[in-house]
Amino acid sequence: MLLAMILFSMSVSYSLAYEYRLETDIELTGELLDIEGNKAKFNEYRDIRDGLYGRIHLLYDSNYYFDFNAADIGYDTQNYRLEGGKWGSFKFYLDYFEIPHNFTFGTRSFYSGISTENLSFKGFPPSTDIGTWSTFDYSVKRKNYGGGFAFDMIKPFYLDVTISREEKNGVYPLGVAGTTPGGITIELPVPVDYITDTLKIEGGYIKNPLFLSLSLFMSEFDNDNHNLNFRNPATANTASTTDVLTLPPDNNYYKLSFNGGAKLPLNSKFNLNLAASRATSEVKLLDFLVDDVPGGRVPVSLSDKTFDGKIDTQNYNFVLTSNPVSFLDGKIFYKHYRRENNSDKITTIAEGETLTNSLFGYKKDDYGAEFGFRLPANLYLITGYNHVRTERKREDVPVNRDDVYSVDLRWSGLDFMTVKVGYEKLHRDAEFHAPDVAPDDPEFINTFVRRFDVAAKDRNTYKVSVDISPTENLNFSIGYKNKDTDYKDVVLGLREVKGDEFNIDADYTFGKVAKLNAYYDYEKVRYFQFQRQLPFNATSGFDPSTPPTAAAFNWDAKQKDRSYDYGFAADIYLIPKRLTLKLQHDYIRSNGDVDFTYHLGGNPLPAGRTQDNIDISNWDDYTLRSYMIKAIYNATKKLSLSAAYVYEKFTYSDAQLDGYQFVPATTGTNGAFLTGAYKDQSYRANVVFLSITYKF
Amino acid sequence: MKRFVFSLSILFVLSLALNDRSAAGNITSGNLENCKNCNEGKSAEGNMSYVGSEICASCHADIYDAFLKSVHGKKMIPDSPANKRECESCHGPGSEHVFKPGRGKGIFVFNKDVPAKDRSSKCLACHEESKSLAFWDMSKHKSADVPCDNCHSIHYGTEKYLKAAEPDLCFSCHRDIRSQSNKQSHHPLKEGSIKCSSCHSPMGGFGVKMIKADSINELCYKCHSEKRGPFMWEHPPVEEKCLNCHVPHGSNHSKLLTEKVPFLCQNCHNEIGHPSTIYTRFETFKGTASSGKNRMFARSCLNCHSNIHGSNGPSARGSHWLR
Repeated sequence: MLLAMILFSMSVSYSLAYEYRLETDIELTGELLDIEGNKAKFNEYRDIRDGLYGRIHLLYDSNYYFDFNAADIGYDTQNYRLEGGKWGSFKFYLDYFEIPHNFTFGTRSFYSGISTENLSFKGFPPSTDIGTWSTFDYSVKRKNYGGGFAFDMIKPFYLDVTISREEKNGVYPLGVAGTTPGGITIELPVPVDYITDTLKIEGGYIKNPLFLSLSLFMSEFDNDNHNLNFRNPATANTASTTDVLTLPPDNNYYKLSFNGGAKLPLNSKFNLNLAASRATSEVKLLDFLVDDVPGGRVPVSLSDKTFDGKIDTQNYNFVLTSNPVSFLDGKIFYKHYRRENNSDKITTIAEGETLTNSLFGYKKDDYGAEFGFRLPANLYLITGYNHVRTERKREDVPVNRDDVYSVDLRWSGLDFMTVKVGYEKLHRDAEFHAPDVAPDDPEFINTFVRRFDVAAKDRNTYKVSVDISPTENLNFSIGYKNKDTDYKDVVLGLREVKGDEFNIDADYTFGKVAKLNAYYDYEKVRYFQFQRQLPFNATSGFDPSTPPTAAAFNWDAKQKDRSYDYGFAADIYLIPKRLTLKLQHDYIRSNGDVDFTYHLGGNPLPAGRTQDNIDISNWDDYTLRSYMIKAIYNATKKLSLSAAYVYEKFTYSDAQLDGYQFVPATTGTNGAFLTGAYKDQSYRANVVFLSITYKF
Repeated sequence: MKRFVFSLSILFVLSLALNDRSAAGNITSGNLENCKNCNEGKSAEGNMSYVGSEICASCHADIYDAFLKSVHGKKMIPDSPANKRECESCHGPGSEHVFKPGRGKGIFVFNKDVPAKDRSSKCLACHEESKSLAFWDMSKHKSADVPCDNCHSIHYGTEKYLKAAEPDLCFSCHRDIRSQSNKQSHHPLKEGSIKCSSCHSPMGGFGVKMIKADSINELCYKCHSEKRGPFMWEHPPVEEKCLNCHVPHGSNHSKLLTEKVPFLCQNCHNEIGHPSTIYTRFETFKGTASSGKNRMFARSCLNCHSNIHGSNGPSARGSHWLR
């Protein structure tokens, strides 16, 4: 139908135009897939399977134009886009596309009602024989419908309007504690049935020396399932108790923005941005919770049964740029961002505990300058400074002050080479407030905790890169970056992150014979954290300098992530413009480990453990190898044929998933009813493609 | 269906009828003589004069043909080069080049021998008055001396006349991002479902790292609107910046996390009991620990604290993001 509309439009345009261009190309691809292992990981964002894939491109171009593209027709990645308009007057687009996200296929659960908001099971306890469980797939898919138009004919004014709807459907894994504390964990297949509608209208005026624009952005999120009701196998009255997991609430969001710019003397320009937004939600709160008590339900007293969420933001940006003399570029800026939480404050009382939600808000004031100096000897120096002050409604660190200094130097003294070096220093001050509690209060431990997101730190980043093009057909580049972060005041928590990155790239063109490209990347990141283990209900021994006992002691973990990837690609023009052979190989590897240390003093390690046998050697370790060989034959100017073979192998090993058990235990803190989410991610696949493309 | 077939038939007939129609003129080297005899159109650059695009096409037919098909060749657009001096609108007067032909000789060319600023200024002369370039002066690309033609082709190209499709074009400079996007947990960038420009404004804007939003969270919520809340029980680091826990370009760890759980959580939560506990190889599926394993295996802390982005759950179940 859509195609027919396009063709109709084209026919109309044909009659209006006196000179035009019409292009059509149609591609049909047959695919054969042979796969062993995890099909979901292989097709995480793809839909490669046995079948025929179609791609169509239609273009009509004259005073009016229509450009239609469709690909992967009928598959989970199908996408369609029609653009059109009248040159210099207006343009529009309509599109539809799908994005799958596959997590794990063939997962299992003892629950019935999967993909609905009610999960139940018969009998008690649930069967531990996973052969009796139902199977399903963890997968979500986004379907996006969009359209928009823009008017250029009213220059210097303009108007742009876009509208879209995204439907997101599927099943996603979320876990809950059966009871707390100390209970089993239950993995639940959660239904995803979201719709997000968005509208953006922007109008403005743009003619030197002035730019003005006003825009309105609106987004409405609607979730079909506000709660997931599930029979909790861990509670006392298991026959009748239905527990509830709350799901994302519906929300409405709108934002009004004004942008402006004005050219000033001395080759300068002043830009500003003023914006305000509001996000709201309305939620009927649960007046009970489920616990391991007779009857299963515990009443919850609420100061208000409905939560009205309201988050307001304001953003102001002022930027002055200037190029007053040829050797100087400058920019000074100020930005203010504020998040105000005007939601309801609600007090709840349950199980003898009174809690009131905190309304988190913050504001940031950021100002700074950047200057670029064109120096003799083909040197270009860019220096920058900015200061950010953050105030937040948070007890531990209400204020941060960041100072960021940067300097970048580029030298391009030789025609064939550019060298860049850069340095950035971030110094963060944090106003830490220790909790005002007695030393025997469990909260006292936070006297020693500095949370990494706000903790004081010094971060130094060094980078250097060299780009060399000794001949027109050879490019070579090499780069290195070192980034070290020292969380200098941290007693307990993340103390240090050190990172090194290294990249090499090269490409070479052998005249009309071949084009070669190769790359190599290496990255090593090390994390060091220091913690203190304390037993549940501890009332002493919080200070990490306290001599250790078997129950209260310090420990640390050193994580290492090493990743590298390399690739090689060659386009070999066996018969120039007629027959091309493409070869490609990519290799990606990650190797992670964790080195633990118990700081127990003279106390022995728990039975069976030593400082060496506790370490983890497979911490998100994976290898992805892929090989592709492809031949493209342009039989005529209109007809081309291609054939390709792809081999892809992914091996994955991780201490948290290796030896996966659906029900490792049915009670206690080893207890779990899992569904197999993210289990056994390795796969090996062979894919053969055969394509024919015809251009009319 | 009939309409479909009928329309397709029309298309086919039109295609056959118009297939060989070429908009490019047939310029021969003989036209050069006209140029040599031309005394009109002297430019500001001394004695150099405009020769007309027919002369250009006589040697550069492919490029001229592409130019005519491009947006720059549209006479319907009032300010397009097609309504000015076509090739010479950007390359300047061509007389010297005609008399002394050679790659880049006697005309303005877009190559690395010409300062970035001068190359960009050619484009900005027409495109500055467009909303996408309204904030070019604030762009990191501008301050790093990246001219327009590093990414855009004047004559050919894919969408937006880019020299290569995203993300490969961006990766040619941002190699660290390429490396990150190769990692096992990534946004569907390589798969083509999203682009770098879905989140970034390469031609300048007010956002940090040229993102298309006033804050990181605002940007993320455009696609992840379910995370917007507002929730009764908030997790402050989540509300302040998604990047406290996630890396957007790719991670070795699932869900684009900066570190694996439980360490990521324990970096902030050392409270008594299970948050403070050392979870080692003994607490994995294969480990022999008699308790505490469900805080380590599978998704670790997230096995129970699933509503980590915010919750409206009851009482402590909500405040601890358990329901």
